Amino acid sequence: MVVRTKGARCRNRAIFIRKFPKQKGDMAAASNPTSQEGAATSTSSQQQQPNLDAITDDDFEYVDEEFVSNYTPEEAVQPQPTEPMIPDLFKQPPLVKDDLITDTSKLQDQTVEHCLPFLAGQDGPLELNDYGLPRLNREKHIKFLKQSLGPLPGRFVGMDASRPWFLYWCLSGLTMMGEDVSSYRESVIATARTMQNESGGFGGGHGQLSHLATTYSVILAIALVGGEEAYNVIDRKGMWKWLCTLKQPDGGFQVCVGGEEDIRGAYIAAVVITLLDLPLDLTPESPAYDGGRSNLLTGMAEYVRSCQTFEGGISSQPNNEAHGAYAFCALACLALLDNPRRIIPRHTDTQTSRQLTALSSPLTSYLDIPRLVSWLSYRQYAPEGGFSGRTNKLVDGCYSHWVGGCFPLIEACLSPSGSGSEKENNKTATSGLAAAPESLYNREGLIRYILSCCQDQTKRGGLRDKPYKMSDAYHTNYVLSGLSSAQHQWDLDSDPLPLPEGETTPTMAALGADSIWNVFPFIDDNDQVYEDSDRVRPIHPAYAIPQKNVAGIRAYFQGRSGFA
Amino acid sequence: MPPKSKAATKPKATEPAPATTNPTTTTTTNTSQTASSQEPSEPTTVLERSQQRYEKTRPFEAARRQHGLSKLSKEDQKGWICDQLLHLTNRLPAASRARLLSPKASKEIWWTINGTNSIVRGLKQQPKAHTTWGTDRNGHDVGSYSIERFDERIKKRAALTALQVSSRVFRENVEREKRGFVDARSGQEIIVTEREIDEEKVRRSKMTALKKELYGEITGKLASSVDWEDVVPTPHEEPEGALAAIAYPAEYAEAMSYLRAVMSKKEYSPRCLRLTEHIIGMNAAHYTVWLYRAANIFALGLSIPDEIEWLNEVALANLKNYQIWHHRHLLVEHYHPTIASDAEALAHFAKQERDFLIAILSEDTKNYHVWSYRSWLVGKLEMWEDSEELKSIETLIDEDVRNNSAWSHRFFLVFSNPKYATPGKGATERDDKVTQELVDREVQYAQTKVYLAPQNQSPWNYMRGVLVKGGRQLASVQEFVEEFVVKLGEGDDQEEVRSTHALDFLAEIYAEKGESEKADLCLRRLAEKWDRIRRGYWEWRRKCLTQGSSEKVVEESEKAEEVTVV
Repeated sequence: MVVRTKGARCRNRAIFIRKFPKQKGDMAAASNPTSQEGAATSTSSQQQQPNLDAITDDDFEYVDEEFVSNYTPEEAVQPQPTEPMIPDLFKQPPLVKDDLITDTSKLQDQTVEHCLPFLAGQDGPLELNDYGLPRLNREKHIKFLKQSLGPLPGRFVGMDASRPWFLYWCLSGLTMMGEDVSSYRESVIATARTMQNESGGFGGGHGQLSHLATTYSVILAIALVGGEEAYNVIDRKGMWKWLCTLKQPDGGFQVCVGGEEDIRGAYIAAVVITLLDLPLDLTPESPAYDGGRSNLLTGMAEYVRSCQTFEGGISSQPNNEAHGAYAFCALACLALLDNPRRIIPRHTDTQTSRQLTALSSPLTSYLDIPRLVSWLSYRQYAPEGGFSGRTNKLVDGCYSHWVGGCFPLIEACLSPSGSGSEKENNKTATSGLAAAPESLYNREGLIRYILSCCQDQTKRGGLRDKPYKMSDAYHTNYVLSGLSSAQHQWDLDSDPLPLPEGETTPTMAALGADSIWNVFPFIDDNDQVYEDSDRVRPIHPAYAIPQKNVAGIRAYFQGRSGFA
Repeated sequence: MPPKSKAATKPKATEPAPATTNPTTTTTTNTSQTASSQEPSEPTTVLERSQQRYEKTRPFEAARRQHGLSKLSKEDQKGWICDQLLHLTNRLPAASRARLLSPKASKEIWWTINGTNSIVRGLKQQPKAHTTWGTDRNGHDVGSYSIERFDERIKKRAALTALQVSSRVFRENVEREKRGFVDARSGQEIIVTEREIDEEKVRRSKMTALKKELYGEITGKLASSVDWEDVVPTPHEEPEGALAAIAYPAEYAEAMSYLRAVMSKKEYSPRCLRLTEHIIGMNAAHYTVWLYRAANIFALGLSIPDEIEWLNEVALANLKNYQIWHHRHLLVEHYHPTIASDAEALAHFAKQERDFLIAILSEDTKNYHVWSYRSWLVGKLEMWEDSEELKSIETLIDEDVRNNSAWSHRFFLVFSNPKYATPGKGATERDDKVTQELVDREVQYAQTKVYLAPQNQSPWNYMRGVLVKGGRQLASVQEFVEEFVVKLGEGDDQEEVRSTHALDFLAEIYAEKGESEKADLCLRRLAEKWDRIRRGYWEWRRKCLTQGSSEKVVEESEKAEEVTVV
């Protein structure tokens, strides 16, 4: 019997029983503590999907509310048995709203208007769970990503310089949805070869200059398919020489020779250096070469720091506007350079005291965390539930990753050091700030936005920016990445190692890359609004691919010293 | 071909006697009758005509097709077999033919054939759609063409061949001219005249048109252009099954193959510049092409203002593009030293740039790339004290007080001014170089904007940033902030919050003053009612409050210690 039930926190419970063909749902949900409270009446509805389009309200019959044991009449306000359980927060425009109308507010109001029907589950004849949410439509999204791996029609010519991104987006998205992508190994190898340049690095395609963005996506694609043959495609020595030519005296990296210098460059360089275990020495050809004092990591953290803005967020280059995508690059970059607990937080409540501590103690942490956390938190909007990329801009599914993906790193740097029981007793974080609660942001809100607004429910499939936008491989991957981080909890299980003597910044080794991260499915104390079968796979908080793929490629390159 | 030889021996064995003339003549008439009775008056298509011709020359085969072998008379069967053998063995060399058929069998076949008046050189192949006449560029069978249309096509093919011959003569002449050859007849050096070049251009466009029409072959502009004569394009190389492969439009594929060729030779020339423009027109996100374009401009010493003018149009047509702005950045880097010493030229250039930025921002007020470029430009051209810059930002804020990009730029313009900025200071750090007048002015500005729409976060963030930069207590604006929060904690019907940002700010003010309980109330009300989406964050802030107060003591004593040390 397939039964749908409202969650434990719902005051007026009602149970809907489906009249048509009964299928035995598997009992996997019973292992989920949140559904145990209602276990007497609820069963998983994961396996039911007969002819979704034909479901109407008439297919449910209402069961008397008294059927539910803990029903309390005092609390019952207005019994609305047909309504799925959606908190008001996601059903109404925000409480405080200005009268003044400007372009920004018009767009914002329009977005809310577009999202509300989706959030309320009124987007067509979809099957919704008791929380008013549709399932993650894996089959369609998988099909969409497989199609995006090509061949692509001629109108994609504008993406000709971004083809490596398609490799990463699609393979990563497929991996998160549980697909085995190792079957793509041969084609990734063949494709990557044509993109690699003799002078090191990967470009967008045959005859295109090497670029850090394309290099990043090719290397991650290689890590995702795995295997020595794939790893071997990478010309490590060429890569090292090329990276040296990109390194700038101020610590940052240009994205390609003659290209712009920005924080993406710093993050990607950190990824490439640590995944391939590259030597840190600079070649004399490097613009940052100073006779051997500086290396590839010198000044990187300072560069990241210079990108924090007065709002607390991070900009692409110093002095620009704070932007979600760059916040992730900044945090992930620092988390690869050193233990996040040491390198990220800087407590800046009183300016004078900090100035003094800056003089007396080595500067080992680089970001104004209270400001950054504030800025990141403000990226989440109600009622939409999703994140925006900047102050006064609109929500967009891709920031589920760029902003949402910052929280595991933030939580790690706020978490108390030590492990296990020691941690329980030691509630004081190293930064002098309170340890993060289990959720700094509203996970339910993000998951609601993703499942109800970001899924393209037409035949096309894929995930998107917001309703009425086209799905694409970019959004499909980053929305899923965001979903993954909302569904998991990360625990940094290593304490900062002592820095080498005389060092104030980690320039001798990228210590952060060795950090041990543990991951657990996030169990909501309240209700879990999605089915367990809709949980996607976890990805490494800094590398954005599964941990085992990170371990695989790192182990391979750590095994070979020098450029044999 | 053993089965064929078997077939050949069979009739020979069963019918050893040579056929008489009489029955064969009847067969001939028979078959021709069947054929003629079927013959339509006039063929309408080329294939039909071929079919008729085939049937005429192969009467036995035509009869077999129509009636089936078993329905034919003995004589006709024999005639058919001989006809088949003849056409099959005709293809073989004489020696193999001899091996296949005994002289006796051969003789018998020829005997029969002579008797039936068969056409010895009959058409071998049954005409077939697509294979006999080929397929045109639309995938249609040329055989389905009407006779007239087909003749047209034949004429065009002849014309193309003629053009190709003339073109080859021209190219040979070009080659001869290059090598300094002398004309054998006139004894003069070979010179390719302008007229000849023009003629060749006309010829090539005609050839391209014809090729496209006849075969659907797209010979792009470049391959048929005299300018690119000497370049051997490097075609796109990619293995079968490459991922995310794009079915490039022919024009793009061609242009890219020429780009690869000239880039590998590091050629910098006007034609390369034109090529980059051609490609950018098709794919403006092609970073390689942009960098190569810049290299061309610098190598050829071309006018930067001209390039910027061209770029303006491209930028307006590609609002979301990234590469355009880096290209502009490179151009200005290159151009700046040439005007740096000339204050007037510099001011003029700055104004020009600003005018364009204003124009493009009016299309897309929060364009990240444009704003990034703008802040870089301010630093490069030292526009800090340029009142126009500040004024144009104010205009944007007046148009939309929620334009956070404009607010960010203002903060940069005011506080990154070397006059007020200590190098190396973080954006969220106090800077002693900032004057109090400046802080007053900026706080004032932000406050007037808060009044317009109190729930707009931009001026709140701005004001907070200004206070921190100026080293001022947040509590210095307490009165202002309290205007937006009425009767907090005095019951749902009493409490009024006109701005959640004010409530957040107020929490910080109370925390700064050590009034933890009041701060906690602000945060609690945000979590409970006014800003529930951030409940996790507000709870964390509350935890920080309790932790902060216990640490404050330690911090204070440390501070005192350090002060004495300093």
